[in-house]
Amino acid sequence: MLSGSKEAIGRFVKWGTLLLLVCLALAYPWLFPNPYLRFVGVMTVMYMGLATSWNLMAGNTGYVSLGHSAFFGVGAYFTGIMIVRFDMPPFAMVAAAGVFVGLFAIVIGWLALRTRDASFVIVTLALVYIMLLLAQGWRGLTGGSSGLSLPRMEGIGREDAHVPFYFAFLILLAVVLFTTWWIGRSKFGMGLVAIRGDEDKAAALGVNTDLYKLIAFVLSAGFTGIGGGIYVYWFSYIEPFFVFSITIGVNMILMALLGGTRSLFGPALGALLLVPGTQYLIGEYGSTQLHVVLTGLLLGAIVMVLPMGIIPSLRSAAAHLWSASSGASSAATCTESDEVAEGVGR
Amino acid sequence: MSSHLLLQAVVLGVLTGGVYSLWSAGLTLIFGVMRVVNIAHAAFLVLSAYLSWFAYTELGIDPLLSLFATVPAFFVVGVLIQRLLLARLRDHVTMMSVLLTTALAITIEGSLGMLWTGSHRGIEISYSTSSFSLAGISFPSDQVIGFVLAALTFFALFMLLRHSRYGKALRATIQNPDAASLLGIKTTTIQGIGFGLGLATAAVGGLILGLIHPFFPATHWAWIARIMAIIVLGGLGSVTGAALAALLMGVIESVVLVTLSPVWAGMIFYLVLAGTLVFRPHGFFGGRLAERF
Repeated sequence: MLSGSKEAIGRFVKWGTLLLLVCLALAYPWLFPNPYLRFVGVMTVMYMGLATSWNLMAGNTGYVSLGHSAFFGVGAYFTGIMIVRFDMPPFAMVAAAGVFVGLFAIVIGWLALRTRDASFVIVTLALVYIMLLLAQGWRGLTGGSSGLSLPRMEGIGREDAHVPFYFAFLILLAVVLFTTWWIGRSKFGMGLVAIRGDEDKAAALGVNTDLYKLIAFVLSAGFTGIGGGIYVYWFSYIEPFFVFSITIGVNMILMALLGGTRSLFGPALGALLLVPGTQYLIGEYGSTQLHVVLTGLLLGAIVMVLPMGIIPSLRSAAAHLWSASSGASSAATCTESDEVAEGVGR
Repeated sequence: MSSHLLLQAVVLGVLTGGVYSLWSAGLTLIFGVMRVVNIAHAAFLVLSAYLSWFAYTELGIDPLLSLFATVPAFFVVGVLIQRLLLARLRDHVTMMSVLLTTALAITIEGSLGMLWTGSHRGIEISYSTSSFSLAGISFPSDQVIGFVLAALTFFALFMLLRHSRYGKALRATIQNPDAASLLGIKTTTIQGIGFGLGLATAAVGGLILGLIHPFFPATHWAWIARIMAIIVLGGLGSVTGAALAALLMGVIESVVLVTLSPVWAGMIFYLVLAGTLVFRPHGFFGGRLAERF
């Protein structure tokens, strides 16, 4: 009876917090109407979505992609080219970018997912440079190194220019979070976690590992591509060196790792903590490379000291506290917390 | 397309390929001995290029002399990185080491940017900007110096691995760490020295980079992608395979450069990488890691 009511309270707190956060997120552009703060808000929500998308693959399957900026860039270029060269409706093209990058990721995944561990990292790294060379070389389509300028969104004042993009990224974030949550509860998600544990054993037990990995890869890439599509319409400009740089991909990894790859909200939390700080550093010391050094040091520190990330670490610390205080039932609590640590979508 | 031009391209390709050999030998050695993909390898190349450039332009020290400082320093740094950082990783070592070396690469890149800004630099010494001709083929001095330096370093590394007790222990560690440690080889020490050696070759390689190519803090990403493609082609962990693959890629790149375009010359690395993964996922030189060398 007692544990039942405790659970009810827990559930109430959980949903209450979630509701409060959603309300805050929706009200943000009017709570902070300053254009710069709105800009930082868009940037933050963008990276929250990107980091969660990256984690859809990495957190579930354990495959670390160093080259997700390639999908971001392809999505951005697809949208940009469709708007500039073919005069298509922008936000429809943003959605189409998701499909296009998804198809692109099927081809890339078919090739890249033949490899594991280290070789997979190498392939994803190379992918960024393939796309960079293509974007530079295919001048007729991409504008080459001088880039591509897009028309700005019409009928909106300078003050409110960031607002539609804020909500576009917020929708993306919600969709990615929902997908991750849903996968975490499905048989498909169990299969992915089995792949992370031991791919050969998972295959031997009848998990269609190739297909599962490919689906996770395509979803992860497709959402990242949509992020790129929104980004390009927001910035109204795209050039190869910015989108096809390792930096964007590394940022996603850093954020996901900081918050915790084994949790649903971890990557988003990581982005929420890091993006405002990074934007501040760029604003204050942008001409120096201080933010790059700090990014590197922070990534190193997380790997060495907090490899699980914030949320899973807090969770296991809480579980330990709980088991220490309630003595006899510790064994049961521990198993439960281990299980929670297993899946991403919880 | 005359045969003379083609011959010239092949000669330049061999010179470039020799340098790639040294760069990828160090990287593949580190992979072999620890199963660590050192994403920071090219960042160390660029760091060494900057150090030699600084020593030359600010202190007036000949770049070749600065090697006497950078090579031992890089060796020590390598041993320290292995002992203090990499050896302490517990879970998911392959992935965590990738992220750790990525962190190193970014830290180096940012520090170089803070110290010397993002401008392009190059080491230009009096004897490196000329060229000489032999049988109608032109040999640029900087590339010849680079090739000779790379060949000497590679030869020294190869002899060390092949013909010393340490090399034997290192090869044993690469083939089977557990069995090697049962036979009394201190595998953790060996791994530390292996990482140190890999970075020591990067000190020489970085000087060559600085002599031949312009560089800026973020150049390392483009280089690491290329030498990664080379070591996959050569079979991860195989020093000989990496050297042969590097020579081959140097020649192919150079020929594509004169026959097609610079874009295709860059692209060819990744096309070959993709082809290797489709047809020979373990590379073209040797099968399992244990059998390479």
